[in-house]
Amino acid sequence: MKRWRYDSANDLDRTLVERLRRFPREPDMLVYGLRSVGALIIRAWLRAYHRFEIIGHENLRTNRSLVIVANHCSHLDTLCLLAALPLRKLHCAFPAAASDYFFKSIPRLWIAAVVVNALPFARQIHVRQSLSLCEQLLANPGTILIIFPEGTRSTTGETQEFKCGIGALVAARDIGVVPCFIDGSFCAWPKGRRLPRPKKVRLIVGTDRNYRSRNADKIDICAIATELREAVSELSQRNASY
Amino acid sequence: MMSPQIALHDPVFRAYLFVVPISLAIGGAVLAFLRWGLKKEIESIWRTYRSWLIMAPIGLLVVFAGRIPTIAGVTLLAIFAFKEFARASGLYRDWWMTGAVYTGIVTVGIASLMRHPRGEESGTGWYGFFTAVPVFAIALILFVPVLRNRARGELQRMSLAIVGFVYIGWMFGHLGFLANAINAYGFLCYIIFATELSDVAAFTFGTMFGRHPLRSEISPKKTWEGALGAIVVSMILPWLLRFSFPFFGVRQLLLTGLIVGIGGQLGDLSISVIKRDIGTKDMGLTIPGHGGILDRIDSLIFVAPMFMHMAGYYYPLR
Repeated sequence: MKRWRYDSANDLDRTLVERLRRFPREPDMLVYGLRSVGALIIRAWLRAYHRFEIIGHENLRTNRSLVIVANHCSHLDTLCLLAALPLRKLHCAFPAAASDYFFKSIPRLWIAAVVVNALPFARQIHVRQSLSLCEQLLANPGTILIIFPEGTRSTTGETQEFKCGIGALVAARDIGVVPCFIDGSFCAWPKGRRLPRPKKVRLIVGTDRNYRSRNADKIDICAIATELREAVSELSQRNASY
Repeated sequence: MMSPQIALHDPVFRAYLFVVPISLAIGGAVLAFLRWGLKKEIESIWRTYRSWLIMAPIGLLVVFAGRIPTIAGVTLLAIFAFKEFARASGLYRDWWMTGAVYTGIVTVGIASLMRHPRGEESGTGWYGFFTAVPVFAIALILFVPVLRNRARGELQRMSLAIVGFVYIGWMFGHLGFLANAINAYGFLCYIIFATELSDVAAFTFGTMFGRHPLRSEISPKKTWEGALGAIVVSMILPWLLRFSFPFFGVRQLLLTGLIVGIGGQLGDLSISVIKRDIGTKDMGLTIPGHGGILDRIDSLIFVAPMFMHMAGYYYPLR
């Protein structure tokens, strides 16, 4: 009789916390369930408390791999972008989160790994490793990456310069890039404030673009980063007209 | 027959409120003597002991809280223990099969909670359905590949699911059904306490005198000396804790000792067979110093059903 082959989970020899910290995480029914319930609660809360609305939702087509880029001035930004996605896509949508901030303390790790499904992004050292991890993820069809190319929350509400890494990720690849602008999240929950205020938050989804014809050299990737920033600012001007 | 008010006035439960802390205190004193008196390196045993300090109060609290929390707790333990088994054996990659087994485990819990629908059985718990749950659960497991129109590799998955359900869901689930017994506090507290103590005895005797491997191909660390020590302790314990079942005669006390002594080791070894074949040391790392949940409850897998049927053979259970 042939021996059975047991396909054990890869994180069998890890403790619970290590399993959450590890990436890619093994799929887990309980985590998926909690994440879906959490998403429903967050969606209800955004709608009720922040009168959340999405403009240009039809631009967000999630049937293929996708990178969503947006301005960043609040923790609400990630939640808003996740709320724009269909529920079944949540488990393959990975917001890049600073590993030095979200993956250290246990409560933050819990929220990042279980509720948000965050991807630990090392923003100070090993940036290249994190970028190649993103590339691997995007190779799976249907992956959605949520990236804030500013690298941190803006303290003024203004959109900062975009880092060139975003260009390196999408240049010369057939991946849709969707620029988004989130309005009101700075007033609602700025950096340093403990709890959010009941202010209106609006998400504007731009038309998707593709950089497959661009080179992956230094000049082009920085140009892509600048173009994406302009696309986001353009959305912010469009926002003024609503 | 279980509720916080009844527990507070139940002499057996109140006795265990002393027995368990005293045992833990004795264990702690022995370890402290080894550590500081004899200057032994016992870091790993300390870790195991510290986890006991947390698990024992939780266990007592759940039993104190009543019948429904006890059955729910056993069901949750079974679900998470099965999850560890499924993750180790690779069955967890098939969520349909895992879900079918979860459904089976929850059904075992519901059968323990319900009453007989036409009132033909006295007391709570629907024994007829409880013993018949495997029929339905296995039918559900066999139905999964049919539903999904798949055959390749399904025999392995069905087998793993059936073993997982019968061992962890159903046999261990007897512990929950015991919460319906007239003498629920005595039975539950005794078999959990005695089984875990016989585990500790096997470890202690094995470490002190262990020379001859018990089953070298299955678990290299377990020894005949440890096993005999555990059986001796388990045979003495029913007399020491006779207040747990005052109506037991000598024959029942002897059988209780044998069931806990032999059944506990059998449960341990049968899970070791599974671990050995899969090639993993522990089923998980959930409980520091113990391994996974399954590594902790494995001794109860045989003890709970055998004890329940022994007690049910001689006395009306409910």
